[in-house]
Amino acid sequence: MSDHQQRLEESLSAFMDGEATDMEMHRLLKEVSENPELRAKWKRFHMISSGIKGDPAATPIDYSSAIASAIDAEPSHRRTVVTALAGSAGRFAIAASVALVAVFGVQQLNSPADNLGAVSGFAGVDQVDDENTGPAIQFPSGFQPVINARTVSAGGNNKSSTYVTPVIEVRQQVKRNYSEAELRAYMNDIMIRHSNHAALNSNQGMLPFARLNDREAAAKRE
Amino acid sequence: MALPKLNLTLKLAALMAAFFLHGPLLAAQMESAQDLMARMSKASRELNYQGLFTYEYRGNLTSIKVSHGVHNGQTFERVLHMDGARREALRRTDNLDCLRTGDMLLRGSAYKINDQNYARLEDHYEFHIKGDGRIANRQVVMVHVLPKDKHRYGYIVAIDKESGLLLQSVLMSHSGKPLERFQFVDINVGMPLAELGFDFGQSEFSEVALDQADCVGADRQMKQSVSNWSVQWLPPGFVIASHNAADESDQESMMYTDGLAVFSVFIDTDDGRSLPAIDANLGATVAVLTKADINNQEYAISVVGEIPRATANQIASAISLTPLEQQ
Repeated sequence: MSDHQQRLEESLSAFMDGEATDMEMHRLLKEVSENPELRAKWKRFHMISSGIKGDPAATPIDYSSAIASAIDAEPSHRRTVVTALAGSAGRFAIAASVALVAVFGVQQLNSPADNLGAVSGFAGVDQVDDENTGPAIQFPSGFQPVINARTVSAGGNNKSSTYVTPVIEVRQQVKRNYSEAELRAYMNDIMIRHSNHAALNSNQGMLPFARLNDREAAAKRE
Repeated sequence: MALPKLNLTLKLAALMAAFFLHGPLLAAQMESAQDLMARMSKASRELNYQGLFTYEYRGNLTSIKVSHGVHNGQTFERVLHMDGARREALRRTDNLDCLRTGDMLLRGSAYKINDQNYARLEDHYEFHIKGDGRIANRQVVMVHVLPKDKHRYGYIVAIDKESGLLLQSVLMSHSGKPLERFQFVDINVGMPLAELGFDFGQSEFSEVALDQADCVGADRQMKQSVSNWSVQWLPPGFVIASHNAADESDQESMMYTDGLAVFSVFIDTDDGRSLPAIDANLGATVAVLTKADINNQEYAISVVGEIPRATANQIASAISLTPLEQQ
């Protein structure tokens, strides 16, 4: 048995098990019309399969040769230069698109980092959703609920786009015996100190200072 | 038969495309990602430069002008916010040679935690050079920095080929979303100090008090002053970068870094203020404030940094008071 024939039969058996790939299926469908040996095997496989399943094993009737001769008898469609060209162009387009997919595939394989996504897709970042796993929250008046922060988009039609303040969630239902101003001042203070630390230690030079774009932060100097 | 022909075309096209796409990449890989990082760590401190950069997070955009100059072993820095109310920060550092924990890690050295354990940057991040780009009209090398665990974020950075300066830095969440982005739009490098317009006569520079004590010694360790407080759990790879003992306002602070990410721990006695336990966000920065009642003294313990919230919570809950006599 030729190597080609053997591979076809393997494909056929995979096809019977519903495990053939698209490529195998195409090859099978193409070959089965030209290859009587394969066609006979196909028939046999089907009979065995229905035998195992307990289907009434009707002797299969092969319509294929009858249909083939009927098609041969049909008057052939005109094949003009245009349709011939279109045919080969289409084939090339498919080849090109497959090649493109192949190249992208190669890129993906080479770079685990590609799943970081495009940097340009910055709009509508939703960090709080990612990280916010804390319990239910009480929002003192004047504090920005996280809900608002979620709706911030690159469009900038949101209040918080023009005036940036930390989003603060109070974690437990506590007695309101603290001052909001004091809390905000404290949070600002530690964030400024942290940015100062970070500017010295994170190797991003002065970049961490940019994080302090709050007005209170500006007024404060260490 | 059409099939083999198609196959051949496909293979050829893929091969050619792969060749053209990867050609420049191979050239860029001549300088390893680690070399680039090391160069970046030096450049941002030792060069004179002035530029405009943007900072973007959650749809907010601000622009900042930064000037950096070196003179007689001192560095002078100015940060001017270009929009909103006029805000300016001036800073002077007096010891250019002071090697800090973060610098040391980024330059590829290991920080000695104790005799057995060392912290290394490459144990916690993967570096992938992603080819060339252009930022602020300069040629850059793009590097993807991927975290190896859930305790830190990844970065996409662009490093200037000529100077080694960091021209873009995007902090990426674990789900691959950008959390914040720094990006220069224009920068001049290597001009004389005079052109930067610093007024050295003025004593407006805020000298950073925490500056001098935090240099890494020859033993690859930072001298640590004694503290009553200890952090019982640290995310792997994070080591101490600075420690400020309780000051006049009774606040004690520590800072930790893994070479890229930084977080700070603040411990205050909470007399009179009675702060609530909170979670806060400012851009990519999270702040977790917890309360502790020890020996009838209320403390506010905060963890602030560009780290995942879960990690910040874990650190905050691992901070405890160790009486000195028990140490």
